[in-house]
Amino acid sequence: MNSALDISTSALVAQRVRLDAIAGNMANMSSMVRDENGQMQPYQAKFVVFETDETLATSSGAAGVKVSSVETDEVEPLYRYQPYHPHAIQSGPKTGYVAYPNINMSAEFVDALVATRAYEANVGVLEISKAMGQQTLRILG
Amino acid sequence: MSAIGAINPALKLAPAGSIGGVGAGNAAGGVQGAAGGKPFKDFMLDALQEVNTMQADADQAVHQLVTGGDVNPAEVLTAVQKADMSFRMMMQIRNKLVEAYQEVSQIRI
Repeated sequence: MNSALDISTSALVAQRVRLDAIAGNMANMSSMVRDENGQMQPYQAKFVVFETDETLATSSGAAGVKVSSVETDEVEPLYRYQPYHPHAIQSGPKTGYVAYPNINMSAEFVDALVATRAYEANVGVLEISKAMGQQTLRILG
Repeated sequence: MSAIGAINPALKLAPAGSIGGVGAGNAAGGVQGAAGGKPFKDFMLDALQEVNTMQADADQAVHQLVTGGDVNPAEVLTAVQKADMSFRMMMQIRNKLVEAYQEVSQIRI
C-alpha cells in the first residue's frame, strides 16, 4: 500500500524535475553561458533522462523512477548577423554573426505537456492507492 | 488464505492457529506471542511508535514546506497521507481492541 504511494511520488518528483529543465530552457532561450575560458557561448537546451529506481522496488517487480542524468542537447546554434553585438564572432567565415541558443520551442512545449499529463496520471494512481487503503480499513470497521 | 498466498508468494501468511497463542497451555506467564514471538501488547506499542514517527516526519516535512525549505510538495503531501493512513489503521485496530475488551468485560461470573 505504501510502496505504491512511494512509487507514484517518485514519478511526481521526476516529472517535476523534467518540467524544471523545460522551464530553464524556455527562460534561457536567448541566454549566453560563460564557458571555462571566459568565452560567451550560446545556452544549450537541457533534457533529463529517467531510469527505474530499484531502491523502491517491490517483490512484484514494480520499481520507482529517478532522474538518471541531465544531458545537454548539442545542436548547432542559431547565427544572427549583429556585428556590433559585444559577443559577435570576430574572425573566420562567421565574422559579425552572434551565436544564439537553438531551442526548439514546439518540442519543449510538447515535452511540458507530456510531463504535465504524466504528473496528472500519477496523481490519479495515487488517488486510487489512497482509496484502496481506505477501503481496506473497512474490513475491521 | 491459500488464495492470498498464491497472489503474493512473498507474503507468507501464518496459519490462523499460530497467530493468537493466547489459548490453553499458556498459563505460565501472562499473554505470550506465537512460538516465541512478541506479545500482542508489544506489537501494538511498536505500531504506535511507528505511527508516531510517521506523524513527526510529516510534521517536519510540512514545516519545511511552509517555511520555504527545499522540499518537493508532492513528497510532503505523500508523507502526510501516509501518516494519516497509518493513523486510521491504528485507530481501527484500537477500536477493535476496545470492542473485544468490552465484550469480555460484560461476561457475567
